[in-house]
This record gives sequence, structure tokens and C-alpha cells, in this order.
Amino acid sequence: MRNALSGVERALFWTLAFAVFAAVAAGLAARAVDRLAANYETERTNYAIVRVLAPEGREGVAAAEAALALAPHVSSAAPMTAGRAAALLRQWGGSEVRAQDLPPLRLIEIELEPALDPTADINGDIVAALAQGGVTADVVQAPDAAGGGGLAGRVAAAALWGAGLFALVMAIIISLAARSLAARRRELVTVMTDLGATHDQAVGRIGDEAALLGFYAGIAGGAMAGFAGLSIMLLAIPGASVETLPSMILPMDLAPLIAAPIVAALAAGVGARSAASYFHGQAARLG
Amino acid sequence: MARTPSPDLELFKRGVLVRMTRVDSGYGASTVLVGVDFEARTGEVALITGPAAAGKTTLTHVLRLALPPRSGRLVILGVDVGRASPRSLASLKRRIGYVAENPVFVEQWSAFDNIAMPLKMGARKARDYVDDVRELVDFVGLGEAADLPVEKLSGAERRRTAIARALAGKPDLILADDPTANMSPADGRRIVRLLSEMRRVGAGVIIASQDESLAECGPILRWRIEHGRISPVDHPATEDAEAFE
Repeated sequence: MRNALSGVERALFWTLAFAVFAAVAAGLAARAVDRLAANYETERTNYAIVRVLAPEGREGVAAAEAALALAPHVSSAAPMTAGRAAALLRQWGGSEVRAQDLPPLRLIEIELEPALDPTADINGDIVAALAQGGVTADVVQAPDAAGGGGLAGRVAAAALWGAGLFALVMAIIISLAARSLAARRRELVTVMTDLGATHDQAVGRIGDEAALLGFYAGIAGGAMAGFAGLSIMLLAIPGASVETLPSMILPMDLAPLIAAPIVAALAAGVGARSAASYFHGQAARLG
Repeated sequence: MARTPSPDLELFKRGVLVRMTRVDSGYGASTVLVGVDFEARTGEVALITGPAAAGKTTLTHVLRLALPPRSGRLVILGVDVGRASPRSLASLKRRIGYVAENPVFVEQWSAFDNIAMPLKMGARKARDYVDDVRELVDFVGLGEAADLPVEKLSGAERRRTAIARALAGKPDLILADDPTANMSPADGRRIVRLLSEMRRVGAGVIIASQDESLAECGPILRWRIEHGRISPVDHPATEDAEAFE
């Protein structure tokens, strides 16, 4: 790539790099939305709270805990401690709540089995199981398919499709921008054609150069997007640090970064080849 | 079992580099060359002269395989152009050196690199052709200018660069379209003598020009083209003349 990064080529390189940056950033954002939606859905569907009405006191809570151990859909159940309740109140209410100020609690937190049947009557099954154990209770919070169930999945799908479409648009932009490299190399195509280069030789030369430029731009754009993503994670996630980041990132999260140089190289190569092919055709045949 | 060489290849082995038989050609709806019969042989220098718009450049385009004949038969270096595949046409093109009226270069590259292009395309390593290119630079008298980008060269230097590039691939046939245009008479004659030198290594040289005085530069066969029709001027008889329809 003689003088590859001078003048027009340098501008082209950064155009491609920023297109890749935008596409990868959208991909990473979609991946973040997907993970948040998955976590939200898991928390929404795998959690329930019951309030023991009778018998009162510690015996009632213990009986309810024993009955829930045998109840369908229940993975685990434990009485809510005053400390846990205070923490939740602080989180929801925002104001300081002290555990010792709270009255005796009759709440039991339940972790439900994953992949519940959406048509299952969780509420009814839990109340029935508690009644069998001689406990009267009502369910304060339980999964409800009618209350926005599946919305998170649709949001995640929309984010992924949106990012995919955006990446496609960026690939088209990269492909069109790479045609300018072929235009810049038009005289080279003409000279090669005059000197007897075949279509594949002349077009391949330009296509390979554009693909290499796209590959490097893909690495640069991907690196910029990756750096931006890490910075946002560090700033936005409480308790996140350089040490904890590796454990927070899944291999799947890196897919946009890994795909970026390859897709950019392909898009740039295809665009430049198409333009070079046209120039070769013009140089090869007059009349 | 040995294959019998084609008659076209036999023709080439007998020294006939180009044979055009009743060739018509042109651009779009316009026909420029009409029934052209033309022949060029190894070791010969042919000068095709004629007024402007007579068809000289069109003839060189046909000979450099940029413009296909519409009818008639064209055999170049033993290859029937009308029947050849795109790959063999590209291969044939590499055996033809072409000096355009307005040569196209990679302007940012040095003259040296432009001259070396046919050798680079042949996948030769730089260390294998550097001496050959230096020799060509000396041959055309480019000197130190060879290391300058082509965009900084004068018209005469560009022409010398074009000639050196045309010769770099050691072609069997050299075509030059108006190689002395916009040059002083002395420079023009020097260029034609340079091109004519190539006949000594067995190549055929075809020069198209309006300047009839170039025929005085050496032993040159003259052809005259007018209104797309070509005819020989004072040619001696050749052994293949009877085969030439």
C-alpha cells in the first residue's frame, strides 16, 4: 500500500473507522440491552414474596417455610430478615431505614425454578401448598404473564435487529466509501489494463488494498468502541472496576468487536472491487 | 504425439507479427477503419502517417487490443484475436509494448516504479529487475529524473518514461501513437531512433504519426492512412507478399 495513508486515503481510513465505531457501539449497546433484559426477565419471573397471615409469630413463618420446601415451582424459600427489608426499602424509597425500627416481619422470599410454564398459576399453587401445610398466606409478588410478561424479550430482540440493520447500513456506507479508493487508483487500473493485466489481477489488486484498509479501520473502530464501552461500564455500573470487568464480560459480548475488522474488510473489498471492475471495463475496451 | 502448430503460430514463427485482413472497426455507430489490410514483421519499423482523424489512433487501439475488430481477421503474434479467450488476450497484451499519445501513469509513483510496473505484474522480485530497469532508464536517457514522481516530469521525460515502460516487458511488438507530439523536432527524432533501436533485438515497431519526416530517421517502412483506409508506400517485395490477400 504505497502512500496508503496520505491525503484521501487517510480521510477514507477514518471514515471507515468511524463507521465501524458506530456499528460496533450499536452492537455493544444492543448486547447490553439483551443482557439487562435477560436479567430483568429472570428477576421478574423467578421471584415471589408471600405474607403469612396465620398462625402468627415465628411458628407461622417456620410452618410456611416448611410448606414451601415441598411446594411446586419453588426452588428455595427463606424468611426476609429485617436487614434485607431495610435494604430493599432504602433501595425503593431512597430514605434511610434502620432494621431495628422495623416491626417483626412475616414475609418469605421465594426463588422460583427457572423456565416456568407461562400458563402456570404460580400464585394459586403457592397458596394451595401453604394451605396444605396449615398456613394461611397471601402472595404479595409473583410472576404475572399479563403484566408486561415477555416485554423484555421483545425489547432485546428489537435492539438486536436494530443494531443489525444499523451495522448493515454502516457496511453499505463503508462499501460506498471504499469505491473512492478505487477511483483514486483509477490510473493504476488503467495502466495495469494497458499492460495486460487480467480483470482479476487489476480488480484484485484494488480490492485487496481496500480490504486491508477496511481491516485496519475495523480494528481501529472496534478498539475505539470497545474502549468507549469499557469506560461506560466503569462509570455506569456501581462497584465496577478494572479488576471486576473481566468477570462481567461474556465471550458473546465480544462478538461485535471480533466481527468488525472482518465485516469492514469484506465491505470495503466488495465496494472497491465493484468500482475497479467498472474502471477496468472502461480501460480494457473502447468503442 | 506432437501437436501440429496452428497456421497463425506458423505465421508468427515466419516473422509476421501482425496481419490484418479486411478489418473494420470503430466506436459506437461510427466506423473508422474500413477494410484495413496491414502487416508488420519482426525486425521492421513501420511508420503509419496520415492527416488528423484519418484513423491512426484507432488502428493502434485495435492493435493494442483495446478496440475489437467488427469484421475481418486480425492475427497478432500468432494469436487470432477474434477467437482468443479474455485470458489469452491479456497474455497477448503483455507481449505488446504501447506508448500512448497521452501516456497514463501512476502520477505519485516515481518514473522508475512506473517503468518497473510490467515486471512487478509478472510477480518478479525487485532485486531481480532493478538492474534491468536502470538499464532502460539509461537507454531512454531519463537519468536522475527516474527517481522523481511522474507528476513532476516534463513532457519529453514523460514520453521517455512511457517508452521505457513499454520496453520493460521485452515485448515482441511495440506500438507508439504519435510519440513525438508536442516535442521539438530534435527530441522527436531522438525518440523515434530509440524506438527503432528495438528492431535490433527482433521486435517489430509500429509508429503512428502525422509527421512524415520521421521516415528519415532510419530504415522505416511507410504506410499511409486516409479516411480509415491504409496503403503501403514504396514497399519492397517480401517473401510473404503472395500470402497477403
